Amino acid sequence: MDIFLERLFDGVTNGTVYAIMALALVVVFRGTGTINFAQGEMALFTTYIAWALTTQDVPIWAAALVACAVGFLLGAITERTLIRPVRRRNDMATLIVALGLFTGFNALAGLLFDADTKTLPGLFPGGQDDYLSVGGARLYFDALGVWLVVAVLIGLVFALFNRTRLGLHMRAVADNPESAALSGVPTGRILMLGWGLAGVIGSLAGILIAPLSSQQLSLTTMFPILIYASAAALFGGLDSPVGAVVGGLAIGLLESMLTGYVDVIGGTLQQTAALVVIVLILLFRPTGLFGTRQMERL
Amino acid sequence: MTTTSAKPPAPAVAPAKAPRGPLLTLVRGTPRHRAAVAAGPVLALAALYLGSGLEPFRVGQLTSVLIFAIAISGLNLVTGYTGLLSIGHSAFFGLGAYTTGVMIVSYQVEPLLTLPVAAVLCFVLGFIVGLPALRIRGLYLALVTLAVGVAFPELVKRFTDLTGGAAGLVIRSRQLAPPQWTGLGAGQRYLWLYWVSAVVLILVIVLLRNLTRSRLGMAMLAVRDNELSAASSGVHIASVKTLAFGLSGAVTGLAGGLFAMYVGALSPDGSFTLLKSIELITGLFLGGAATLYGPVAGALAVVFLPYFTADLVSGHVSGILFGAVLIAIVFLMPEGIVGRLGATARRLVRVESRPGTPDLPSDPTPRAPQGDARKK
Repeated sequence: MDIFLERLFDGVTNGTVYAIMALALVVVFRGTGTINFAQGEMALFTTYIAWALTTQDVPIWAAALVACAVGFLLGAITERTLIRPVRRRNDMATLIVALGLFTGFNALAGLLFDADTKTLPGLFPGGQDDYLSVGGARLYFDALGVWLVVAVLIGLVFALFNRTRLGLHMRAVADNPESAALSGVPTGRILMLGWGLAGVIGSLAGILIAPLSSQQLSLTTMFPILIYASAAALFGGLDSPVGAVVGGLAIGLLESMLTGYVDVIGGTLQQTAALVVIVLILLFRPTGLFGTRQMERL
Repeated sequence: MTTTSAKPPAPAVAPAKAPRGPLLTLVRGTPRHRAAVAAGPVLALAALYLGSGLEPFRVGQLTSVLIFAIAISGLNLVTGYTGLLSIGHSAFFGLGAYTTGVMIVSYQVEPLLTLPVAAVLCFVLGFIVGLPALRIRGLYLALVTLAVGVAFPELVKRFTDLTGGAAGLVIRSRQLAPPQWTGLGAGQRYLWLYWVSAVVLILVIVLLRNLTRSRLGMAMLAVRDNELSAASSGVHIASVKTLAFGLSGAVTGLAGGLFAMYVGALSPDGSFTLLKSIELITGLFLGGAATLYGPVAGALAVVFLPYFTADLVSGHVSGILFGAVLIAIVFLMPEGIVGRLGATARRLVRVESRPGTPDLPSDPTPRAPQGDARKK
């Protein structure tokens, strides 16, 4: 029982991190119609900035705030200068720009902060003894803290989308940019804000995951997370924030349960197994669990 | 009065505004046209011959360009011509490489004979990957290819007995020596592999040229440009997609087999991760998607760009430059290097039909989608 609980906690912790990264991808997808493959590397870059600040004795909370601000600027500027000019042309063009940013940001982080593994202090106490005992299993405070932050963040995003004028505008632009523009929504500014918001969410994901990840903070920390997050976003349905959260948690749980209980999969096939399950589910629901079907007019 | 008003506009103004006409007009079927058509292959062969005379290190680099060109050509088939983005081509590259590697190491098969086997296995894998494409579309389909790309290195590590697992698979160089009839010594392995890769690349280009102008090729373009219209015009979407994936996988698998012979040592985390897929995609769009020679230009860029910038600060500058070039390409020449060169050539040289024959389009080569291809 306690082993089951520990696997459950593990799965939920990983799942929440995938969920927020997936949320960032969904926010961008709703506005721009493509997966931003550079999201992970942009987050990596801002996480490095947070790390650099902590080495200058800035408390981690303040460093995280700065990183989020930089993430916002980075996202917004990217949208305005690199994405908007090519977005109308076709999806492939946006994708290639994202791939370019992916390579560029990773290398830039390597150049500015060198390739050695860094240790980023956690936002929460992360010692060996900082845990709650739940049914014999250990629930560490840093994992619990990640859950809390993610829960609050998801609440905020939903409030933003459903309770504010800005959120209404964002949904309008995602739904039909032309109609939104005709109704007086400043489409361009909304898209910029959307990308900025995704940048903030991504930065937060990076800062939360780096202290927990077995790789700590290195140039390869974010790539697997981005892969899982895109799988989560696709699983949930690319245009659905609820889907991103459900998808992220599902992948985290699938990963830890399949690894723990199916011997054939063991420790080597975990990523494959999780992705194969998702592909099988997609066969029955080709646009993900909560995705809307795209209608096409000839 | 009437004579003055009928006067043509002043000729001094016209040439400045009107687009320049072609520098050269060729009539189809004339000796000059034939010479121009023949010039391409002759120049390419001459370049290949000159390349083989370089020092061994450079020949090795050129060999990897040729191998990459084959791999990217395979990707071009499914992503460029059929419009299905694949992030999993590293798996085909890897399956081809490991097929060749395992057959040589465990069964002492003659290296060249392993290539057809690699191609067939990759065709089958491609076909299987193509099956979900019947229901799943767009980015969701990219997830399926992603799963294949993630799975490959993990599976290699899982089946350690066959593949050597994480430790890798080493092919003895004795087993890769050039065959007797070539007259090349064991020390000239690099030349042998150079020419083998060149021949395979030429075969692949000829095959793709014919394929893209065939009925299947046209059907692929139709599926890319608008799937619904294609279906309503009688294109069998299911078979086009699965065949495109299968053939694409087979070609990239061939490249993988050659790569195994080239490097001689395979490891799952070395060359067969998703980063390899990204490299192939980069090469494809840099060179020009849906162009026949784009993959060659893309392969040149992918191999030489990092190499020339690697001396600057431990490779990171090369990464930044690579990213910047990629973005610049989208802004400055979205049709890729070869696409742009082709457009320039078409402006400078016009090919006309012989008088009296029905007017053919001057260039039947399918082009990359232009303008607004974004689906609503």
